[in-house]
Amino acid sequence: MSGSIDPRAVRVTIEDAEPLVVTVVPPSGPAKKGSPTLVDGRPIGARLEVGEGGRATLHGEGDQRRLTYADLPAGEAGSSWSGVRRFEIVVDGWRFVATVEPAARAALRERARRSAAGTAVHHPGVVRAPIPGRIVAVHVAAGEQVEAGRALVSLEAMKMENAVRAPRPGTISRVAVAAGGTVELGDTLVELA
Amino acid sequence: MSPPFRRVLVANRGEIAVRIIRACHELGIEAVAVHSEADAGALHVRLADLAVSIGPAAPASSYLRIEALIEAARTSGAEAIHPGYGFLSERAAFARACETAGIVFVGPSAATLEELGDKLRARRVARAAGVPVVPGTLDPAPLEDPGALEALLQEAGRIGWPLLVKAAAGGGGRGMRLIADAGELPEALAAASREAAAAFGDGAVYLERVIRPARHVEVQLLGDAQGTVVALGERDCSIQRRHQKLVEEAPAPGLGVGARRDLHAMAVDVARATGLRSAATAEFLLDADGRAWFLEVNTRLQVEHGVTELVSGLDLVHEQLRIAAGATLSPAVRAAAATATAPDRHAIEVRIGAEDPARDFAPTPGRITRWRPPGGPGVRVDAGVEEGSAVLAAYDSLVAKLMVVAPDRPSAIGRLRRAVDEFEVGGVQTTLPFHRALLRDPAFLAGAVDTGHVEAAWRPAPGREAAARIAALTAALLVAGGAVGVTGADVSRGGWPDGPGPSPWRTEGRREAAERWP
Repeated sequence: MSGSIDPRAVRVTIEDAEPLVVTVVPPSGPAKKGSPTLVDGRPIGARLEVGEGGRATLHGEGDQRRLTYADLPAGEAGSSWSGVRRFEIVVDGWRFVATVEPAARAALRERARRSAAGTAVHHPGVVRAPIPGRIVAVHVAAGEQVEAGRALVSLEAMKMENAVRAPRPGTISRVAVAAGGTVELGDTLVELA
Repeated sequence: MSPPFRRVLVANRGEIAVRIIRACHELGIEAVAVHSEADAGALHVRLADLAVSIGPAAPASSYLRIEALIEAARTSGAEAIHPGYGFLSERAAFARACETAGIVFVGPSAATLEELGDKLRARRVARAAGVPVVPGTLDPAPLEDPGALEALLQEAGRIGWPLLVKAAAGGGGRGMRLIADAGELPEALAAASREAAAAFGDGAVYLERVIRPARHVEVQLLGDAQGTVVALGERDCSIQRRHQKLVEEAPAPGLGVGARRDLHAMAVDVARATGLRSAATAEFLLDADGRAWFLEVNTRLQVEHGVTELVSGLDLVHEQLRIAAGATLSPAVRAAAATATAPDRHAIEVRIGAEDPARDFAPTPGRITRWRPPGGPGVRVDAGVEEGSAVLAAYDSLVAKLMVVAPDRPSAIGRLRRAVDEFEVGGVQTTLPFHRALLRDPAFLAGAVDTGHVEAAWRPAPGREAAARIAALTAALLVAGGAVGVTGADVSRGGWPDGPGPSPWRTEGRREAAERWP
């Protein structure tokens, strides 16, 4: 493996986990010694046995793990980038959504995003809905000074009332919701200046 | 034996509606389902003989509307209403409305619901019956009167910090707040009251001492209209998060026959004082010295009633329906009560919720795209969903209860571990990985847990991170290793040119160790 990107290399992204770059030797190719699966540049022995009905077993280094998987629509990323695939994979009850794309394309996209980020305005004070639900009460108004930890909004989901708190001290620059309204996961609740 | 009723309306949704509909069918009773517009395609609607739409998704517009339910019973010709748990199950006004309409309410009398369903009054009843009550206030906190706050703060100081703000009409942890000091009290009172008013239509709240460490142990009660009340065994429900139960088992581990008999007797004393009819549960906290403190009575079927059924061999919903039709406690119930202090089986339930155990059990509404529950000997699954069902944000996150029964606790744990490993769910994150880890946790295996155990010991990260690596590798092999459905992305084994490095399998090896909680 010299510095060039292997055409068989894919990058896997899982929410909350470091992306992995994996180079895989396809089954059609000659399975020779010296052409192992590489994970982040390190070789490992791994073999995926794909069974019926969305079940699979990953074998490797004397261990094996049974899991289930399902194809997901490629979503936003897939609409502009060919070769992107998404899977739901459940391991030991943990559910992950994995996005797989050619490593070369991922590298290009990363570069494009980095240069865009340099000119974009950053909003570290946007407080978003951690869960979908209904706004029960808004405890602050625009212009108000708040301390970190102050309850900003009470959000009810699955009959539990949850206080959404200020992540840091600041001045409320905008209240984006009103009592009685409903919000989706990630909707802006309040902006802090 | 002829059916106790010809037709019964089930005023609930989800797994408990399904469970009650099944009991009706077993007794030869026709079941009428009610549903919100959002639940039109739900499993309980499909299983019922008749279904009535009662309003929009929000519970206040559908499952909590007494008039709509009475009207649905009238138009469908139901003779009785089973309220399940939650929603209107403990509301005296509902029982009274049924009575006025000439419909049988499957549950205690309205008077008992008023007496015991209100936690504050239940505390007074228990104290009058000579049963030790958790220290706290005995009257509703005066929310409307700012001048009374000072007196309440003094009262709180006497009870001691931290303390709990609890809803008089509460249940399932709703309308409950743990507060550390006086500064938090006003906000907690207001929030708990609002939550209680929204969930139960009653905003009354009170204060109670936090007993820690404590085990949560409760006694299943059954009474008939003739005034006979029996205890059918206890359940340990100490595995909780945010005051909501995750795991329940019967009998309570490590309890001697004497302690068990005393506990059952206290529960019966409280229930008998109010003439309990139908099923109810008396909840206690066992402190570090093994002393029992009365907490409250839930005047309804509990979520976890199934573990008592598995140990006693009874069907509590069958018994509720017979009692509602005027029958006295059956010989089977009396026999089970006579042996309740010396059970010869052990049952455990784990709640399968649409929640993320890695994110403080936050709800994960969505569509269930894969649903393969386990089976085999000694396994019972009570589910409210099937493949393709939506888990709606408007309702409780509980989607199923997985229960096992075995001759003793170790074999029940082995059976449950096997069943949890078999359970396949896709589309939403569930509590399954939590249960998987708990069933390998030495403290749980030893029966030595208290209600603070989950908060103190649950560490999702190691197991989840190892699983994430495996998922990532699997995804890569699914794409680069050939088409899905073709066996084998065959990869030869490589050496270790740089010496031992991080590998998912090495991480995986550590995972088993990490899952054994400290």
